[in-house]
Amino acid sequence: MEFAELIKTPRVDNVVLHRPFYPAVEGTLCLTGHHLILSSRQDNTEELWLLHSNIDAIDKRFVGPLGTIIIKCKDFRIIQLDIPGMEECLNIASSIEALSTLDSITLMYPFFYRPMFEVIEDGWHSFLPEQEFELYSSATNEWRLSYVNKDFAVCSSYPPIVIVPKSIDDEALRKVATFRHGGRFPVLSYYHKKNGMVIMRSGQPLTGTNGRRCKEDEKLINATLRAGKRGYIIDTRSLNVAQQARAKGGGFEQEAHYPQWRRIHKSIERYHILQESLIKLVEACNDQSHNMDRWLSKLEASNWLTHVKEILTTACLAAQCVDREGASILIHGTEGTDSTLQVTSLAQIILEPRSRTIRGFEALIEREWLQAGHPFQQRCALSAYCNSKQKWESPVFLLFLDCVWQILRQFPCSFEFNENFLIMLFEHAYASQFGTFLGNNESERCKLKLQQKTMSLWSWVNRPSELSQFTNPLFEANNLVIWPSVAPQSLQLWEGIFLRWNRSSKYLDEAYEEMVHIIEYNKELQAKVNILRRQLAELETEGGTQESP
Amino acid sequence: MNLLSGLLEMELLRIWMKLSPDFRERLGLLDSTLILDVPLGVISRIEKMGGATSRGENSYGLDITCKDMRNLRFALKQEGHSRRDMFETLMRYAFPLTHSLPIFAFANEEKFNVDGWMVYNPVEEYRRQGLPNHHWRITFINKFYELCDTYPPLLVVPYRASDEDLRRVAAFRSRNRIPVLSWIHPENKTVIMRCSQPLVGMSGKRNKDDEKYLDVIRETNRQISKLTIYDARPSVNAVANKATGGGYESEDAYPNAELFFLDIHNIHVMRESLKKVKDIVYPNVEESHWLSSLESTHWLEHIKLVLTGAIQVADRVSSGKSSVLVHCSDGWDRTAQLTSLAMLMLDSYYRSIEGFEILVQKEWISFGHKFASRIGHGDKNHADADRSPIFLQFIDCVWQMSKQFPTAFEFNERFLMTILDHLYSCRFGTFLYNCESVREKQNVTERTVSLWSLINSNKDNFKNPFYTKEINRVLYPVASMRHLELWVNYYIRWNPRIKQQQPNPVEQRYMELLALRDEYIKRLEELQLANSAKLTEPSSSPASPSQMVPHVQTHF
Repeated sequence: MEFAELIKTPRVDNVVLHRPFYPAVEGTLCLTGHHLILSSRQDNTEELWLLHSNIDAIDKRFVGPLGTIIIKCKDFRIIQLDIPGMEECLNIASSIEALSTLDSITLMYPFFYRPMFEVIEDGWHSFLPEQEFELYSSATNEWRLSYVNKDFAVCSSYPPIVIVPKSIDDEALRKVATFRHGGRFPVLSYYHKKNGMVIMRSGQPLTGTNGRRCKEDEKLINATLRAGKRGYIIDTRSLNVAQQARAKGGGFEQEAHYPQWRRIHKSIERYHILQESLIKLVEACNDQSHNMDRWLSKLEASNWLTHVKEILTTACLAAQCVDREGASILIHGTEGTDSTLQVTSLAQIILEPRSRTIRGFEALIEREWLQAGHPFQQRCALSAYCNSKQKWESPVFLLFLDCVWQILRQFPCSFEFNENFLIMLFEHAYASQFGTFLGNNESERCKLKLQQKTMSLWSWVNRPSELSQFTNPLFEANNLVIWPSVAPQSLQLWEGIFLRWNRSSKYLDEAYEEMVHIIEYNKELQAKVNILRRQLAELETEGGTQESP
Repeated sequence: MNLLSGLLEMELLRIWMKLSPDFRERLGLLDSTLILDVPLGVISRIEKMGGATSRGENSYGLDITCKDMRNLRFALKQEGHSRRDMFETLMRYAFPLTHSLPIFAFANEEKFNVDGWMVYNPVEEYRRQGLPNHHWRITFINKFYELCDTYPPLLVVPYRASDEDLRRVAAFRSRNRIPVLSWIHPENKTVIMRCSQPLVGMSGKRNKDDEKYLDVIRETNRQISKLTIYDARPSVNAVANKATGGGYESEDAYPNAELFFLDIHNIHVMRESLKKVKDIVYPNVEESHWLSSLESTHWLEHIKLVLTGAIQVADRVSSGKSSVLVHCSDGWDRTAQLTSLAMLMLDSYYRSIEGFEILVQKEWISFGHKFASRIGHGDKNHADADRSPIFLQFIDCVWQMSKQFPTAFEFNERFLMTILDHLYSCRFGTFLYNCESVREKQNVTERTVSLWSLINSNKDNFKNPFYTKEINRVLYPVASMRHLELWVNYYIRWNPRIKQQQPNPVEQRYMELLALRDEYIKRLEELQLANSAKLTEPSSSPASPSQMVPHVQTHF
């Protein structure tokens, strides 16, 4: 297919662009295969370069011959284009609609994007499972790398390499895979060096209504327990939901078969419930009606902060079991690709100082989200403005980022990255020139040959010039476990995402700039102090040599 | 609530509680850590709970309600009448006025190296504003509080209005609170005036002198042909006030004025609203419907209305180039909120520590905000309908602004909390009594210490490290509900489940950075000195690298 077929009118003059924080600007609108571009043809003026894949929904309306297209983006921004000429306007609208909903992944921009920067480090090779495992192997020899899934035959949503207890062989893993949803047998997610306890994750056990059991599964997870110790299984579903799952062949671990494990049920919502929550929240945030009373009720009714609270509470519980109770845990929900990953990754943010650094957080995203098989392609295809009732649309990853932001807000000096880093990840998960978030799992990414055909987000982010804008100037390594508060007054709406287009952050940025400025200045001063000290030392030795003869 | 057992001690000023030894051991504390330190002034109400026949643990003792969003409960032993003694002593010292005793501030002998009473000098403050000038004069007509007993002795009025005119205007304004100048714009010379409502009454009385006086005010500004009047009340209330002799400026009587109502509710509504806030935060935070409960208190909505009103005043003066007259009913509650907040938005001077002290001293204390009645210092009548958190609401608005403009204020959150703590404590004379005339009679400045003495002698504790002094920037906060927050650090600080708030970590870290900077600069200077001393030694080699010595830049 050629993009040209979809672009009926590639160019319109005298289009007026309205967007948040800027005065309206008139210019020429151009459509390319992947971008919507508005150029005012003047120097020093901001132009609009919008990825079609960032467009969530469009509205059009006409007043006489003047058409207006309202573009609602996946990053929640809303822009308006006034286009003279009804035909032009209709053509543009239908082209945008077609280009923003391309079916084939290989037509997406990352396959066409040619970077204008020099690649210093190829991000596709920045976080290899073997390297990650090396971090553990100095502390423990109870675990091993397994290549049982190297051709994705055992579990289609797992990566080729996983970490499992040393005492369990690949044959047993294959058997366990048949007992776990989607073949997702329990694997290591996190090893707590302080006490040797671990977090494992998996899919739900397929017990069904007749209470099927699997000896290998029991053996596998028991292999992670120390003699005489009990572990915890955190099921991210309520007991009720878990019981209902049995009718569909799923289920949960029966006490009788897992006597060394205590099961705790939490209820983290999934799928359309989260999607509806997001839609309501963004609607409330965008409500421009003048007497915006009942804002707090609307915010509450969206339930967004309740979801944040549930997820954070469960993550704290998991971290508490590991750090305070000294117990190993297994976490799963149904598939083990959504709420499970929210909990395992947030627990690591709480427990592991490394995951609060930029590299460590990237590694966490890579390990716990991308390789762990969170279906980004399905979850992030559409955002808050689209009324699609597709079951698989869900802001699971955004909720995770929101939870990280809440912790970051409570511990502003313990993270090496800043809020912009989280916002950037949100944007790229939904629309990007990079291939990182394409596909639903490693197997799909392999088939798409993303490593060969697209650029990794990390190749760009980890360049020193980019990193500076994502670095928290206040960062001071904090080697402690950090316990966030989940009290209602401690959780706040993430303005940087949800009210971002609503109010300019100019004055808050000023304080931030001040801070960056003084840190720079301190570095400068330190350098000068060093120069002078060296000079003084030189002068002193000179003086000394002159005196000595 | 947390249960702790220990020894209660009382001084004239405060109750202390020290942990009993067994409790100390249980908590693993070594010294007799102070766990409670309550200024007696903060007590609003003391009640006995339980009787001689009460059974059950902790059912007998005292219940203490405080003015600063917390309650205390002391469980006592029934033997030995200890409660009666304690109750009576507490009553005497917590409510000295009721017992014809002096307020603690008069017994306070603290010494500070700065005298806070010197902070505000009205003549100097008006001079700073460029007053008097050829349109405005300073009058001493109220020197002995004869014109208006709730106004300060010194007033700024239009040059063209004689003292005789002022007297006639006073007759037509509630409690003689005539329109006087609060602030003048340094460039466009428009002004903010404050006063009380006109005494229009049911019959719609008019007063030629008042009408003429407002016209004189209008004429001092040649840029706009109208004077803008902001009536802080909801219009219904303004109309209702006619029944009690008050009212507002009608269009017929004041054709050259435009009147707007700002819909801010009265002291009773604000008191009830804050009560509801307390209900949802103390002793437990309402968990399940936090946001809608918060909304149902309407506290943030009131904050929004006050801020919106102040923004309108500021904008009218700054961009609309129109002079503004602000009043409510008596002109000492909502009016003070509006003028002082507008001045804070318009004039960067008031955003410094001393400037803010002057603002409070001027717009609130000297112009007769009834602190004694609103707070009820030393008075046991806790249900008094005159009590209301108007000043707290103002400080909350200032806090909201400081959140939105983190670099604009010289002071930090602790400064605002300290002011509020001593609003109740009665340790300082600053907030005592309703107006200047009474303060003068009581010799407050001679007999008590000023709160500003405490603050100004420890200024570093109250400084906002992010402050960047900028002259003449007008701040317009966003007064949308979306951008207002509950001041958690203040309203929820006593919740036993909330861990004691650490000082703001960002602020802390920034202070460290600043200290580091100063140290570097000092070291740099020392090294430069040492270097140049070496270089000037006659033996130094001619190829000295003196050109390489970098300059110390001190652009901070």
